[in-house]
Amino acid sequence: MRVTDRLLFENAARHAASARERFEAASREAATGVRVRHPEDDPAAASVMARTISQAGRDGAIAKTLGTASDELAHAELALDGVSAALSRARELAVQLSNATYSANERAAAAQEVNGLFETVLGQLNRKVGHRYVFGGFQDDAPPFDATGAYLGDTGVREVEVAPGVTVPASIRADVALKGAGGGVDVLATLQALSTALAANNVAGVQGTLDALDTGIAQVARARSEAGSHLNVMDAAGAAALAARTDAQARLSHLADADIIDAASRLAQAERALDAALTAAARTFQPSLLDKL
Amino acid sequence: MADLFALLSWSSSSLSAHRAASATASHNLANSNTRGFARQRADLEATLPADRLGGAFIGRGALLSGVSQVRDAFLERQLPQAFASSSYSGAKAQALEGLTALDPDGGAGLTNALDAFYGALRQLTQAPGDVGSRQAVLAQGRSVALAFNRAAQNVDGARDGLDTQLEANVARVNDLARSLATLNQQVRIEQASGAAPNDLLDARLRVQDELVQLTGAAVVSDDDGNVNLQLPGGGALVNADLWATLSTRADPSNGGHLAVFLTPAGSSAPVQLPNGALGGALGGVLDARDGALATAEASLDALAFDFAGAVNTAHRNGVGLDGVGNRDFFTAPAAATGAARALAVDPGLLADPRQLGAAASAASLPGDGSNLFALIQTEGAALSNGLDVFDGLAAAIATWGSAVDSARTASARDGAVLDQLSAMRESASGVSIDEEMIALTTSQRAYEAVLKVIQTTDEMLDTLLKLR
Repeated sequence: MRVTDRLLFENAARHAASARERFEAASREAATGVRVRHPEDDPAAASVMARTISQAGRDGAIAKTLGTASDELAHAELALDGVSAALSRARELAVQLSNATYSANERAAAAQEVNGLFETVLGQLNRKVGHRYVFGGFQDDAPPFDATGAYLGDTGVREVEVAPGVTVPASIRADVALKGAGGGVDVLATLQALSTALAANNVAGVQGTLDALDTGIAQVARARSEAGSHLNVMDAAGAAALAARTDAQARLSHLADADIIDAASRLAQAERALDAALTAAARTFQPSLLDKL
Repeated sequence: MADLFALLSWSSSSLSAHRAASATASHNLANSNTRGFARQRADLEATLPADRLGGAFIGRGALLSGVSQVRDAFLERQLPQAFASSSYSGAKAQALEGLTALDPDGGAGLTNALDAFYGALRQLTQAPGDVGSRQAVLAQGRSVALAFNRAAQNVDGARDGLDTQLEANVARVNDLARSLATLNQQVRIEQASGAAPNDLLDARLRVQDELVQLTGAAVVSDDDGNVNLQLPGGGALVNADLWATLSTRADPSNGGHLAVFLTPAGSSAPVQLPNGALGGALGGVLDARDGALATAEASLDALAFDFAGAVNTAHRNGVGLDGVGNRDFFTAPAAATGAARALAVDPGLLADPRQLGAAASAASLPGDGSNLFALIQTEGAALSNGLDVFDGLAAAIATWGSAVDSARTASARDGAVLDQLSAMRESASGVSIDEEMIALTTSQRAYEAVLKVIQTTDEMLDTLLKLR
């Protein structure tokens, strides 16, 4: 092949430019640690990346929402714990004061205590978590129980998503747990009945509340265990969602991130190549007949 | 008869032949960096007829028979096609490479915006009555709309930018076509004298190369020495002294983007050229604009339209805190075309987050969020192309990425072919300084030798004249 001066210069320019381009690409990859920046860098990976980013985002959102729901339900469970304690104390009083040896005054004092327990229970049930009253069903913008113990909420049960498209209950129905809807006892009315019987020194009346108190205690315990099992499901699902998100993020990193060792070695290689191209170019320029004539 | 005076006269013609040879070498050296210059050769030959002396022929010195340029006809035939392909794929790749709208991990990109929207809906399921959380859903809905707007503007902006490039290229083609027709005429006139107008041929070849790069036209030489150019679609761009004119006009059927028209020489009726009728940079730009970029724009539009439709359908079943249902979440145009650009959250909803239809019925207000689950379901619901919104987006990203990747590969391949052919052209026709220095020295030596002949002849004449 006939080699002209212009050919030499053009080749040198082309080779140096392409070596520099490779050097720049390798150094960018090594510096940023990102392999796929634009879809054309790896079309298949870019498309999977978009899908994986959305999966990671979705799993993160599910975990976060489950966290919120779980916090609320834990508060509700705590409130039911308070109700349970109050009911147990009321039962103690009922058993104790069913005994004929107690005086009317003592029963009147106990009636005062039961009234206090009633207020405590009301306070627990009208608990507000964040923006809402947790025992109101869907009527969560106002206290669900009035001062007489009447239920103002509805039968709505809030759901929470544990996996895409799968929901579980995230609240306790107060009408079932406390007002005895569907065949239970009205816990609040029982407390009121106990207080009335105690105040009236009605031993038979006090004894009459014992069964209802037992049923009520069991009913609240059932609601607590229901809440506990919901909490378990939520916690497990939340952990699974977080694990799935971590997994998705790891896959994303596999797809998009540069292998640092590989990137560094390619950078070193590209640097060598650039150096060689420049040295070769400088060498080819030197010999000329002009210097010899 | 070879007398001494004849010897002097032959020497003078030989001197001018060698002077011409050194002038040609100097011309080559001076043009060693001139683009499109082909080295020239001074062709010397022995002067004919030779003189006869007795039974022998005595030569009469050297003569310049002509100055020719060195070009490899085989290569020159291959080069136009290589120029056309390389500028076609180069222009296409360059047009596609700048777009960032479909980057998979753009922080403010579509994937992230859609993700955040569904995340906010999920959060709202746990506080449907909370106006702040409702506001967050609307804000994320707005980000989705803006991300669609921005992506569509980005793509459409790229298409508009290509229109500008198209206009500039068309103007340049018209200038060059006119020059080529003029050069055809000049070459014919100069060639009538019988000599090859080498530098004029180079100038014409430069214009021809650039025109081929811009339009992908095929080069047809005729017997009269004209270079004629034929567009890939068949229209004549330059025919001897005549040239056609290209023009652009907005095409309403293609979103107002420019279409190219050809007005043949001697006609005043422009004919619209389909995109395939142009090659080179013009063809590459048109292909990028109406190919991959148009596809990306259409898929964004379809995605925005279907997504807004699905969300609206689900939202219409919900009831706001005011007890009113059947409202849209997004306002989108009636047709898919332009939907991505126009997507916006319903202004009434944006002004009053209480209108967000989270509840399934007015009776279960304000704590009911069951319709939110229907809204979240749109995340995985198949849209008109059978894919959900994220898969649709992923498919658009893959389609786009493959288009750019193959354009880039084609550009590298065509560029390598052109580099190779250009190197071969340079190798055949380029100026080697070493060679020219040798040629210059050769003609200098020959010139000195002929001068020596003149000196010797002079001395012989002197000797003769001094005879007594």
